[in-house]
Amino acid sequence: MSVNAWELDPEFKYKVASTPGGENIMRCFQCSTCTASCPIADIDSNYNPRKTIRMTLLGMKNKVLSSDEIWMCAICQMCTERCPQDVRISDVMGAIRQVAEKEAEKGNIDIKSVRPTFEKAFMHQIEKYGRSYEIGLTMEYYQKVHKGFVSAMMAMQKDYTKLGMRLFKKGKMPVTSVLPEKIKRTDEVKKIFKSIGD
Amino acid sequence: MSTSVTKLAYYPGCAGATHAVDQEMSTKAVFEQLGIELIEMEDWNCCGAAEAEDPNMVYALNARNLVIAEKEGLNVATPCSICFYNLARTDKALKEDENLRKKMRDMDPSLDYKGTINAKHTLDILVNDVGLDEIGKKIKKKVAVKVAPYYGCYLERPSEIGFDNPERPELMDKIVELAGGTPIPFRQMRIRCCGGPLMMTRGDLAFEMSKRVLEAAKKEGADCIITACPLCHMMLDAKQPDIEEFFNITIGMPVLYFSQLLGLALGVEPKKLALNKNIVSTKEIEEKVI
Ligand code: SF4
Ligand code: SF4
Repeated sequence: MSVNAWELDPEFKYKVASTPGGENIMRCFQCSTCTASCPIADIDSNYNPRKTIRMTLLGMKNKVLSSDEIWMCAICQMCTERCPQDVRISDVMGAIRQVAEKEAEKGNIDIKSVRPTFEKAFMHQIEKYGRSYEIGLTMEYYQKVHKGFVSAMMAMQKDYTKLGMRLFKKGKMPVTSVLPEKIKRTDEVKKIFKSIGD
Repeated sequence: MSTSVTKLAYYPGCAGATHAVDQEMSTKAVFEQLGIELIEMEDWNCCGAAEAEDPNMVYALNARNLVIAEKEGLNVATPCSICFYNLARTDKALKEDENLRKKMRDMDPSLDYKGTINAKHTLDILVNDVGLDEIGKKIKKKVAVKVAPYYGCYLERPSEIGFDNPERPELMDKIVELAGGTPIPFRQMRIRCCGGPLMMTRGDLAFEMSKRVLEAAKKEGADCIITACPLCHMMLDAKQPDIEEFFNITIGMPVLYFSQLLGLALGVEPKKLALNKNIVSTKEIEEKVI
C-alpha cells in the first residue's frame, strides 16, 4: 500500500492518544506480537492490529476510521496481555472506535459496520432501565439495521426462531422476560449518561 | 481465610438475572452447600458488558454497583467473566486514582466509592478464599469425566485484573480434580476467545471461534466443557446447534458451568443445578456421577 504524504493527518495520533483507552498508542514499536496472538487475525488475514496502530501513527485517519477492521476486534485482551510495550491495543482499538463514531456523527466518514448501531442500542437499554433488556435491544437494533419494522421483524424471525424456541423450551425465556427488568433508581443511571453521553 | 467468607454481595449480572438460570441456580446451590450466604445487591445496574466503549462509562456504571455493596460492607461476588472484568477494573482504577474518584463523586453522590471492599469472580472466591481443602471436606460424589476447562477471557487476562495464570490458567482444572474428574490439556484453546462479543455484529467470526473451541475439545476426547461465563456458555451451549447447522457438522458436546460440575460433586441434585436446562444434553455426565 502506498502512502500519500499529503493525505496524512499528523494530529490523528494525538486525537487517539487523548481519547480514553488510547493513551499508550505511541509506545508501539511494531513487533507484531499482537497480530501473532490475535484470534481474529488467525481467521481473517486482512485483520492486523499492528498495522492499524502503524497506520494510526502515520496519520492515515480516514483509512483507519472508515475501515471495517476496527469493528472486528473481539476485545479478548490477548494482544494487551502479550504486548511488550504495554500499548493496551484492545483499549486503543476502543479509542479509535470512539473517534470513528464522533467523526461519523459529524458526517466526515461512513461506517459500514453495524456494530456501533448495536452498541448504541445496548447502551440505550441501560440508560432507560439500568439493565440490559434483550427484547428492547433486539428490536431497536434490527429496526435500525433493517430500516423499518416489517423487515426487522422478518430478519429477527429468521435469526432467532430456533434459538428462541430452544431457550423457551428449557425455561430460559420465561414469560416475564418479555418485560424489562427495571431498576428503582434509574435517575442515578440517567445522570451518568447525561454527564458522559453514550 | 476460609472461615472469614460467610457473606457476600451477589452481583448476578444481566445474563444471570435472565436466561442464564442454569448458572444462577448452580452458583447459589454451591454456595449454599458451603454455608456462604449470597445476598443479591439491592438495585444493581448493568456493568456495561462489552458494549460500553468509553472506560469512563464503565467506571461510572460500576462505581454505582460498588457503592451499593460497600454500604453493606460486603465484598462483591459475580459469576460472569465480563461483569467481573468491569467491576474489578473499576475497583482498581478508583482505588488508584483520587482524581477519578472525585470525578465520579462530582457526577453523582451515588458514585462516591471509598474503596473499602473488593470485587471478585466466584471462581476466585471458591478456590482462593474458601479454599480447595475446605471445599474438599464437603465433596460427596465423584464425577468421573474428562473435562475441557475453558477459561476464555478476563479471568486470567489482562493479568493486572485477572486472578489466574494468563498463559495457562488452572483454577478450573483444580475444581475438576476436586470433583474426581480429569482435566484434558486443552492447551491453547483454554484461553482463546469464544467470539461472544461479536455474535450480533459479526456472527460469522463468532461462530468460527466457538467452533474451534468445541472441535478442539472433541478432538482431545473431552466428555464435556466447563465455563465460568454466561456469554461463553451461550455461544458454546445454546448456539451449538446453530453452529452445527452453519458448518454442517455434528459436535454434541455438553457444556456445563463449573458450578454445575462442582455442585454434582457436592451431592446436589442435578435438577437443583438446572442441568435439565442446558441445551446440549448432560445426561451422560450425570450418569458418570458415582
Ligand atoms: S505487540 Fe505492542 S508493541 Fe508490538 S506491534 Fe503490537 S502494539 Fe506494537
Ligand atoms: S483484543 Fe482484539 S486485536 Fe487484541 S487479540 Fe483480541 S481480537 Fe485481536
